[in-house]
Amino acid sequence: MTFSGEFLAFMGLALVAIIGGVLLLNLTRVVHMVVALIFTFVAIAGIYVLLSAEFVAAVQILIYSGAITIIMLFGIMLTRHNDESESKAGKWRKFLLFLGILGFAIAVYLGIYNFNIDQVPTTLHENNTMQIGQALYSKHIIPFELVSVLLLVALVGSIVLAKKEDKEADKE
Amino acid sequence: MVQDLLHSSPGLANFAIFFLLGVVLLLVVLGFVTYGILAERKVMGYMQLRHGPNQLGGNWGLLQTVADVLKLLLKEDIIPKLADRPLFILAPVIAFAPSFMVLATIPFTDKFQFADIGVGLLYYIAVSGLTTFGALLGGWGSNNKYALLGGARAAAQMISYEIPLVMSVLGVILLSGSLNLNDIVHAQKGGWFILLQPIGFIVFFIASVAELNRTPFDLPEAESELVAGFHVEYSGFRFAFFMLAEYVYLFAMSALITVVFLGGWLPPFAFLGFIPGAVWFSLKFCVVIFVYLWLRSTLPRFRVDRLMEFGWKVLLPVALGNIFLTALIKSLFF
Repeated sequence: MTFSGEFLAFMGLALVAIIGGVLLLNLTRVVHMVVALIFTFVAIAGIYVLLSAEFVAAVQILIYSGAITIIMLFGIMLTRHNDESESKAGKWRKFLLFLGILGFAIAVYLGIYNFNIDQVPTTLHENNTMQIGQALYSKHIIPFELVSVLLLVALVGSIVLAKKEDKEADKE
Repeated sequence: MVQDLLHSSPGLANFAIFFLLGVVLLLVVLGFVTYGILAERKVMGYMQLRHGPNQLGGNWGLLQTVADVLKLLLKEDIIPKLADRPLFILAPVIAFAPSFMVLATIPFTDKFQFADIGVGLLYYIAVSGLTTFGALLGGWGSNNKYALLGGARAAAQMISYEIPLVMSVLGVILLSGSLNLNDIVHAQKGGWFILLQPIGFIVFFIASVAELNRTPFDLPEAESELVAGFHVEYSGFRFAFFMLAEYVYLFAMSALITVVFLGGWLPPFAFLGFIPGAVWFSLKFCVVIFVYLWLRSTLPRFRVDRLMEFGWKVLLPVALGNIFLTALIKSLFF
């Protein structure tokens, strides 16, 4: 393994992503958890950049920054102020959980360690925005259009739901 | 030069070079912020028939901002007792860091650029969205209802105005065929995009004022309604960080508008090409900054519900229409 700047950057980003994930599970306040989530998402975007997937990285930040803001607002509005979640698991349950996680880690490690990926020379990293666009509008045009129809239905549906409540409130 | 550096193996020498480049850019930006604030106060002063700062540093008040910053740094650092301490400390950092990160992709001249990445325009818009977390976290962490209201307004405003912002540059992307800021500048050799995309430019400019949280869209910190919005509990250098983030964004947004709509470093006419690109860039940049200051001192603040209606019912449809029109023009004439 060569010790390059890429390796350093990957280690840093991976550490931030994992620590963010662990903190997300372990912190007790909702808003703190969301902050941990931000760090995880941004670090994953950084890893995409290392993989030369710039477009995916930018879109990841663009979409999740809006989405996390909404989650955070819901977290602020729909939970009690200073509400702290407590773990109620017993000792046995914790021990069994630990065994389960250990088993999973060993299984994944054995699976990945000798997993051989044939290295095929590709041109995916050059102009990948253009390549994504061409693939979307030539090979995957029907799924793409279906997804946009689905989103439109969700959008109209949410507006209809919101309008309905408004009318009932007016009657009362 | 930067390209070679990025591909070389890491070492202390390379680290020192990157660090030095970063520090130089930071100092340039700090210099801009110092005199940008002074320019803002002077321009607003003259537009409101008064003089503005004229005591410290000669008749032009050249040292006024320096003194203000010194005062902020010497102030006692106060953290409210019931504040959410880690969030309160983290919020100014989260607000400032993205504002400096976005400067990396902006091509100031054809040679002076830090990172020439393929999706430069998208990168700018994506990373600048992260600052809202700073405002929202600061508002929540201060444990103050005015601050929380300001933070919630900042979040709502960012989401509503980011969409027209992206939609309005789609016209430019269609015409130039690239998201790379260098390619966008080169595509303007025939004519600036402000001439080819007047509707897109107007929508982008209005949405950018909203993204910068400046009057008439400065609802997150509306001082007549919310005391000072999300940074009401902040003082000293933490407050200075919020202000710094705001003015670095002013720098970055003006640079972006110069690059995307005003032809970046290109001269307006070919025979003026003997003047270096940096001069053209800074001239256009100053014009954009002046328009921002002008808007601030002439327009009153929007009402919250009107702001949302304006964003969703006016700017978004106009931006969508602009995309349609641009696609039509491109397929007919180009």
